[in-house]
Amino acid sequence: MSDTLGTGSGPDGKAKATVAPGQGECRPSIEAERQPGWAVSRHLRQTGLPLLSVAVILAFWEGAAQLGLFDASTIPPPSRVLSTVWELQTLGFPRGSSLLTHMGSTLGRVAAGYALAAVLGIPLGMLIGRSLRASRMVLPIVTFARSVATLSLLPLAVLWFGVGEESKVFLITYGCFWVLLTNVIDGAKNVDPALIRAALMLDTSPRAMFYRVILPSALPYIFSGLRLALGLGFMVIVGVELIGTSIGLGALISQARTFYRMDLVFAGMVAIALFGLLIALGLSWLERLLLPWARESK
Amino acid sequence: MQSPRVERVTEAVANAGSARPKIEILQVSKQFPAEDPARGLAVSNVSLTVGQNEFVSLLGRSGCGKTTLLNMIAGLVAPTQGQIAIDGKPVRGPGPDRGMVFQSSALFPWLTAIDNIEFGLVNRGVPKVERRRHAQDLISLVQLSGFESKYPRELSGGMQQRVAIARALALDPEILLMDEPFGALDELTRAEMQDELLAIWQKRTKTVVFVTHSISEAIFLSDRVIVMSPHPGRIREQIVIDVPRPRQRASVQFAQFYETIQRAIE
Amino acid sequence: MNRRLASLDSWLGVTIFLAVWQALSALGLLDPRIIPSPIAVVAGTASHLTLAQFLGDVEASLFRVMAGFLIASVLGVVLGVASGWYPLVGDLLRAPIDLLRPIPPLAWIPAALIWFGLGEPSKVFVISLGAFFPAFTNTLAGMRKIDRDILNAARMMGLSGWRLLYRVAVPAIEPDILTGLRIAWSLSFGVLVAAELIASQSGLGNLIVRARELGQIDLVVFGILAIGITTLLTDFIIAQFFFRFRLRWYVKATTAGLAGTRER
Ligand SMILES: Nc1ncnc2c1ncn2[C@@H]1O[C@H](COP(=O)(O)OP(=O)(O)OP(=O)(O)O)[C@@H](O)[C@H]1O
Ligand SMILES: [Mg+2]
Repeated sequence: MSDTLGTGSGPDGKAKATVAPGQGECRPSIEAERQPGWAVSRHLRQTGLPLLSVAVILAFWEGAAQLGLFDASTIPPPSRVLSTVWELQTLGFPRGSSLLTHMGSTLGRVAAGYALAAVLGIPLGMLIGRSLRASRMVLPIVTFARSVATLSLLPLAVLWFGVGEESKVFLITYGCFWVLLTNVIDGAKNVDPALIRAALMLDTSPRAMFYRVILPSALPYIFSGLRLALGLGFMVIVGVELIGTSIGLGALISQARTFYRMDLVFAGMVAIALFGLLIALGLSWLERLLLPWARESK
Repeated sequence: MQSPRVERVTEAVANAGSARPKIEILQVSKQFPAEDPARGLAVSNVSLTVGQNEFVSLLGRSGCGKTTLLNMIAGLVAPTQGQIAIDGKPVRGPGPDRGMVFQSSALFPWLTAIDNIEFGLVNRGVPKVERRRHAQDLISLVQLSGFESKYPRELSGGMQQRVAIARALALDPEILLMDEPFGALDELTRAEMQDELLAIWQKRTKTVVFVTHSISEAIFLSDRVIVMSPHPGRIREQIVIDVPRPRQRASVQFAQFYETIQRAIE
Repeated sequence: MNRRLASLDSWLGVTIFLAVWQALSALGLLDPRIIPSPIAVVAGTASHLTLAQFLGDVEASLFRVMAGFLIASVLGVVLGVASGWYPLVGDLLRAPIDLLRPIPPLAWIPAALIWFGLGEPSKVFVISLGAFFPAFTNTLAGMRKIDRDILNAARMMGLSGWRLLYRVAVPAIEPDILTGLRIAWSLSFGVLVAAELIASQSGLGNLIVRARELGQIDLVVFGILAIGITTLLTDFIIAQFFFRFRLRWYVKATTAGLAGTRER
């Protein structure tokens, strides 16, 4: 079991500057260090207790609902949510739109907007970040554009692109773009000058300097930007779908509400959570694959 | 037993003696922008020539401008005054004739040890098989066999420094600029690396400018030791170590040089 | 000197941006019914919106964000510290929180509307859900990377238990807490706007909805900008406040021996 508290940190931990902290990995808590008795069973506790806590919560929830301690229609128990997920997939809601249809449509929108943001944001960020002047000039604009709540642009987006897919893709692109841009600019800016010097002493052409030094060195920032942007893209799409469409996970839970179908709302939320989880896992897998050198330890 | 030769060099050029000058530094100063201009004067009116195939060490307290001087020879930093020439041609920037080992190893964290060593070879378009073979030779030279595919953060500080040395050697530069390359090594490895460096230097006939904080290292390695003093950074004295190699680290002569240099630094 | 140059560049950037926008509008390249010019936005807003109305919306929005944010930050920081300090708490909380985290806060809106109705509580609930996770995660991340030497040093000086926690551990992670709270704050605003767009009679999000219904596109643009500015301004205030407060606390609570370590 690796112990990352305070020991053997690599020479530079600073690539993490704009990374959203805390992908919840298991690390020993501080008190555990002092209590040898605890340490023996640490492994057991770290896998056992979380499972136990979830199991207990679910059991209580289910039990309380069965005993009629609260209204099962406003807080449907886990068994009910599960059967609703099944019903949703087979029958569909609205009838004919299965769970997979909703998921596919949400995924398509996020993918399009996200990809567009990446295609625009990464090259532009690299360009801006390499010029001190340019990055200073765009800083206030970028900061402001980031602070503009993406969903507030919905009326404008509809005006510009109509009520179809384009306006949704636009909003996702908008949200993802600025977050990504900020991180890419940071990455391009924060290349260790020592590495540039080292490369200069090794016969490096300006072109090679960009592709072989600046880009790889910015990659961790780009990835953290991609990760943040994905979370935001997901949030935006759910918000957009809540407001005005019939297909998509956000639309699903919004319509379920108007029919007071709390079980459907929960089923939709479970799907959204699963979705988010899968995509986050996929991204961190990709990151491990592409950035093996940035991993914590061997 | 003759006493060590000490030369006072204040304004005069610190001379390479008979050998043909490879590096000529003429009244060079470097002023960094600073609130108090006196503090920003990293190097002040330094003149120094280094002969072909000569091994020169720069010694002096922290902050006396050793790294700055080295960077100026490398062409990474431009002098604010004076001139630096290599083979009679003024330095305008980094060039393939010079290789550098930096004070911090400055390895590319995204490349494995062997890929770091090959970095410059890739830039030169050396074919893959050839550059791998070359890099493997260097890996065994710096005694890192078995660590080829480790990333820098998986290596100890001393190992990183050895990769950096191999990386600088890979392009086989005529001039090797080394900024405290063995600072992070343990005593034993350090002695081994010193032997290796001398072997390379003798075999491949290189000109070396070597920055160190260790007096005995400077005596063991160099033809000449340049002692610098801080605020502003100047050359204070030079000591010619005219002892045939291989040198004995524990000889009386060695101790005499040690004392002389220590006095020069104060 | 360098600094002044930097801010000059920043102003230059903003000026160029506004000038190009205005110029494109003046040249007729931007349809004013779709993108009003900066001047039209200002003029239109002045005629469509009274200051009192505007302040009322700001107040309504700020109240909601503040309420949700306060609940979330207290809960998030306390639970984050507890999770980092007591392994039992950390292990118990980890799974439920990790399972809930992937759900975007906006996805709670339908559920909140069913549970709490259309009034204020549902908005505050959703906002606090959104703000909770960044506050919690950053606090916990801070707790996990506390330098053990600092704790051991403090133990050698006789601190333990609660006192060790609030005199050493908590001050040490203050920067992380601040980061978490700032992320939480800006996220709160995003959630707020969505909530107000969906169901609300007041607030900056509702201002946009009203303006759109009346076809006042200039006012829509103004509303968007107003939300952005409010977010930025309040974020700035929070950061300033925190730094002041932190500094006072720092002088009072930290012993000289530990002082240097906190700034890292
Ligand atoms: N980029 C810079 N900007 C401003 N001042 C600098 C810069 N680089 C070096 N200096 C100053 O120049 C002086 C000499 O620095 P230099 O790094 O050359 O010293 P050094 O002899 O290599 O020291 P050390 O032995 O600690 O490596 C120092 O006072 C330092 O503060
Ligand atoms: Mg130095």
